[in-house]
Amino acid sequence: MTSTITAASPAKSATPIDPVFRQIRDLVYKVCGIFQLEEKLYLMADACGRRMKHLSVRTPREYWDLLTAHSSREAELRQLLNEVTIGETCLFRSPPQLDALRKVILPELVQEKTKQIVKRLRIWSAGCSTGEEPYTLAMNMLEESDRLLKGWTVEILATDLNDRSVETAKAGVYGDYALRATPELFKRKYFVQVDEKKLEVRPEVKKLITFSRLNLQDDSRMLFMKGMDLIFCCNVLIYFDGPSKGKVVNHYYSNLNFGGYFFLGTSESLLNLNDNFRLVHFPGSLAYWKPSLKSGKL
Amino acid sequence: MNTSVNATIRKGVEGIETMPSIPTIFAPLLELLNLPPERVKLDEVVKLVSYDNTIAAQCLRVASSPLFGLAKSPDSIRAAIISLGLRRVQTILLTCCLADTFPTKGWPLDPTVFWRHSLGCAMVCRKFSEKLHSDDGDKAYMAGLLHDIGFMVNCVAFPKEFAKAAAYAAQKQIAFDEAELATMGFTHCETGRALAEKWHLGPDTVQVIAHHHRPEQGESAQPLIALVHLSDLLCRVRGMGYGYYEGHKVDLVGDPAWAILLQEHRDLAKMDLALFSFELDEAVEEVSILVSTIFGGAQRETKK
Repeated sequence: MTSTITAASPAKSATPIDPVFRQIRDLVYKVCGIFQLEEKLYLMADACGRRMKHLSVRTPREYWDLLTAHSSREAELRQLLNEVTIGETCLFRSPPQLDALRKVILPELVQEKTKQIVKRLRIWSAGCSTGEEPYTLAMNMLEESDRLLKGWTVEILATDLNDRSVETAKAGVYGDYALRATPELFKRKYFVQVDEKKLEVRPEVKKLITFSRLNLQDDSRMLFMKGMDLIFCCNVLIYFDGPSKGKVVNHYYSNLNFGGYFFLGTSESLLNLNDNFRLVHFPGSLAYWKPSLKSGKL
Repeated sequence: MNTSVNATIRKGVEGIETMPSIPTIFAPLLELLNLPPERVKLDEVVKLVSYDNTIAAQCLRVASSPLFGLAKSPDSIRAAIISLGLRRVQTILLTCCLADTFPTKGWPLDPTVFWRHSLGCAMVCRKFSEKLHSDDGDKAYMAGLLHDIGFMVNCVAFPKEFAKAAAYAAQKQIAFDEAELATMGFTHCETGRALAEKWHLGPDTVQVIAHHHRPEQGESAQPLIALVHLSDLLCRVRGMGYGYYEGHKVDLVGDPAWAILLQEHRDLAKMDLALFSFELDEAVEEVSILVSTIFGGAQRETKK
């Protein structure tokens, strides 16, 4: 799954955190919906420190002024988020999301759709970066192919704005760092050794996924992404401004089938951008649910 | 509930009543807890704590723990109480008393997990209450701390049956009360209620203990029951559950308890539930430290 803002791990400082960083943390949540735990606040402080150095700003208070000044706010917040999210991803990034998917959601979806003639599940990894998330999903679906999903067709659509990321994703070759959270069993079962340091995803996993380039702000293409059962869009929306974000989320809502689920990053919130989605909890994870017609909770 | 189940529960609870290990300070402590905070006198609490060596030592240990970050470890009960605050002292006292009342040796449930859930729920209840700008944070805290008191009854009075229920819950990944009902024919809500009534806990607390899984069935204090119910669910999805995976979706907004609470607190509609969930993650560590500080080595000895 895509990284949250915790990937870099400088040594935790013993000195107390300046309260201004707490204010910045709250501002980041308010504007972008990404929450930084108190215990990880030093990562935020480090990221701010790098930005302050770059801008020759001397104190956290001055930096706060910059972040809240109308003229520079949006641009600087984006720069700061670039620092804290650093675009690093790995496979099996969020085990609680995978547990929720396999233990709760899949049985529910299979049961709901069992009377349909075509037994098909459609999953969309929106903003898939270099492919770690869709491959993780594909491997987990394959694990269920002899049990829960026997006789079912699974289609995974993986899109990203960046051409180069999509090409890297298609290749499906990963090193130790990207594979650091991947269970050994999965490594043996779904990868082949490319060289001493790299593994490549096996063809049967790749076969499940269609990679393509997509701009989430391209309304005409977004309209065609219908019939999804699951959408994953982890730490992507943070780069959109308020109105664009709302528009993308509205698209997601109509792209999803009734009874479908929308996942954000593990510390990411939709900030009430769409009242039709219902926030639901699973152990260790949150998701946004488009209530099924049967549940009468529309 | 049928008569034979009722008789079984009564017998089990009577067995607990005759147990010799109830600390002497327990009854006066309960009285103290029922008082409004402004009427609780420091001297009375000091006297109460000093009466029992084990509890006094536990209080000092908690006050000296890094959790409270005091520059200097308190060297007297009075100093410890002042540094901890009356509210925390009451929690510690109640937790220690309950732990002493119910020896955890041979429990079918890991006592650390039980206390983490109970203290976690208490803390979530208070935070939830604060979010709703309610003045009843302390009451909500106490209700959260005591809501699962029936687990202790079941561990002590019905250990074999409860062990089966625990195994069934983990195997089926279902809620504990469902597993109890399926295997024992009754739940911790009924046994907890029986004990709470014997101990003359406040009527609202009794209602919470009896109905926290079905707030709509509460005979009174429904908003408090609903608040504990939702806090309990939140604990179980944010790392303070019963140590096994509960394989179901938790839809707080769609829960009848949400509607009950919403009638009382209109602010609930505006609450950022995702943010509240993230904030709770910060408290998990704190609660775990508190549990290990209160129980220390003794807890590890009795751990399964």
